[in-house]
Amino acid sequence: MRIHRIYAVILRFMYLFRRSYDRISDAFYWPTIDLMLWGLTSVYFRSYMPDASKVILIIMSGILFWIIIWRGQYEITVNLLEDLWNENLINMFVSPLKFGEWIVAFLFIGVIKAFMSFSFALLMAYLLYKVNILFFGWNFIPIIALLIMTGWAVGFFVAGLILRFGTKVQTFAWTIVALISPFSALYYPVSILPTWAQTVAKFIPASYIFEEIREIIATGKVDPNKFYISLTLNCIYLVLSLLFLRNSFDKVLNKGLVKVY
Amino acid sequence: MNILAVNNLSKKFKDKVAVNDISFSLQEGEILGLLGPNGAGKTTTLQMLLGVLTPTTGLIKYFGKDLGENRTEILEEVNFSSTYTKLPWRLSVKENLTFISYLYQIKNRQSRIKEIVKIFKIEQLINMPMTDLSAGQLTRVNLAKAFINYPKILLLDEPTASLDPDVATYIRDFLLEERKKFNVSIIITSHNMAEVEEVCDRVIFINNGKIIANDTPVGLAKTIEISHVELLVKDGLKRTEEFCQKQSYAYKIDGRYIVVDVKEREIAQFLRDLMNKGVYYDEISINKPTLEDYFLQMTRKI
Repeated sequence: MRIHRIYAVILRFMYLFRRSYDRISDAFYWPTIDLMLWGLTSVYFRSYMPDASKVILIIMSGILFWIIIWRGQYEITVNLLEDLWNENLINMFVSPLKFGEWIVAFLFIGVIKAFMSFSFALLMAYLLYKVNILFFGWNFIPIIALLIMTGWAVGFFVAGLILRFGTKVQTFAWTIVALISPFSALYYPVSILPTWAQTVAKFIPASYIFEEIREIIATGKVDPNKFYISLTLNCIYLVLSLLFLRNSFDKVLNKGLVKVY
Repeated sequence: MNILAVNNLSKKFKDKVAVNDISFSLQEGEILGLLGPNGAGKTTTLQMLLGVLTPTTGLIKYFGKDLGENRTEILEEVNFSSTYTKLPWRLSVKENLTFISYLYQIKNRQSRIKEIVKIFKIEQLINMPMTDLSAGQLTRVNLAKAFINYPKILLLDEPTASLDPDVATYIRDFLLEERKKFNVSIIITSHNMAEVEEVCDRVIFINNGKIIANDTPVGLAKTIEISHVELLVKDGLKRTEEFCQKQSYAYKIDGRYIVVDVKEREIAQFLRDLMNKGVYYDEISINKPTLEDYFLQMTRKI
């Protein structure tokens, strides 16, 4: 694995980011809209429930930390789509670039963009509602790491689907991650989900993290078991999704990279 | 020395055999033309040579090393340009060349980019996004990309398509110069037969996925016996036409000009026969068969 080739792929996407107003607005527009919409809604609810002082904090945390999952998967799938839209996949793979380097570059881009969007949203939350979630302290590290792993796993799975079926399934890049959000229990505890949905939530690594986030907000205590379960599930899903992506890439090589569009 | 060796290469897509058991080699400093009608298997072959399409069977060896096992090491020394592939269209020419130069770990990156844009006369375009470039300008940027890593082997798919004739000539001269200076080996596909004749040392003709000829351009043209005899007839055009019909010669008439396809060894007799029939002509030119004639004959047979 060579750093200069990973850097080349990152550089290509950073150039694109700088020149694409749609991608720039993507990074900042939706977090702002979500913060405004849900923030104002929770402010309104709190006026009916003055005791529920932590409502805004719980809702804001849900919005802010969801950005990590969303950007982690989005950057993998949309950057793959960018290469397909530009018919650039062949230029990348007639060069010495390795599949693994390409993937690592996507991971880095996901981290960079997640950091940008998350920092921006943190600032907005503070400016709009005086909400500051920095009290999570060191817990930020496992929370963010585990959430981005979930994003990557979803991203690799969707990227595999796109490689197999081409841009006709490109809408998955925006929609599939939303499918796991109800089971991730962003704003509510898993216990209020219907029984069948609670069973599904047990297999969603993010649900343990959002439960943990609410636990920290409510009691200030940390249950490391939830982190361990989430880590185990994430590792399993990451390995499976990477195998699926690699298999999809091999299938593409069988029909020719130029034929993927 | 064989810099590339292809052995028993085949590619099957479901029921269709696109490339059928082909073998050939490329020498150091050699320019090899890959010809054939549309759908013959040229692009499929190129894709397999680049490692972006997995062969069904067969072996590709660059510098004596298997492509499948040494892909990264090999592709550092190889590059590719096609009129039909695109670079990211929102990026500027300079941004594209910069990220590609990182892919190949070019030393003195900035000076290499400056040098290559000068060679391909794209200095004025350097800060323009790809979307703003004409077809010919895009071709030149693609060629600049292909040369950026000082490749030992270049695979060029229609390298001068969409170029103005003067730029196309410049590019052909450049290819020959690069070969002379750096002993670069090149594989070219082109529909411009004059270009192939001019730059290629050897031509492989592919049809239905099989190699049906492998020779020098002159050697291939020589297999065509027919020459084109062009006459500006002063008196006796009608008699010439009747004679051609009787003797089953293919011909075309344009005003007072007639072009007759005659076997090279029969030309003298043909001209004598016309004289005997009282045909007088002011001009005569005899065009020997070219690679284009070979191509046309082969594709008509198909």
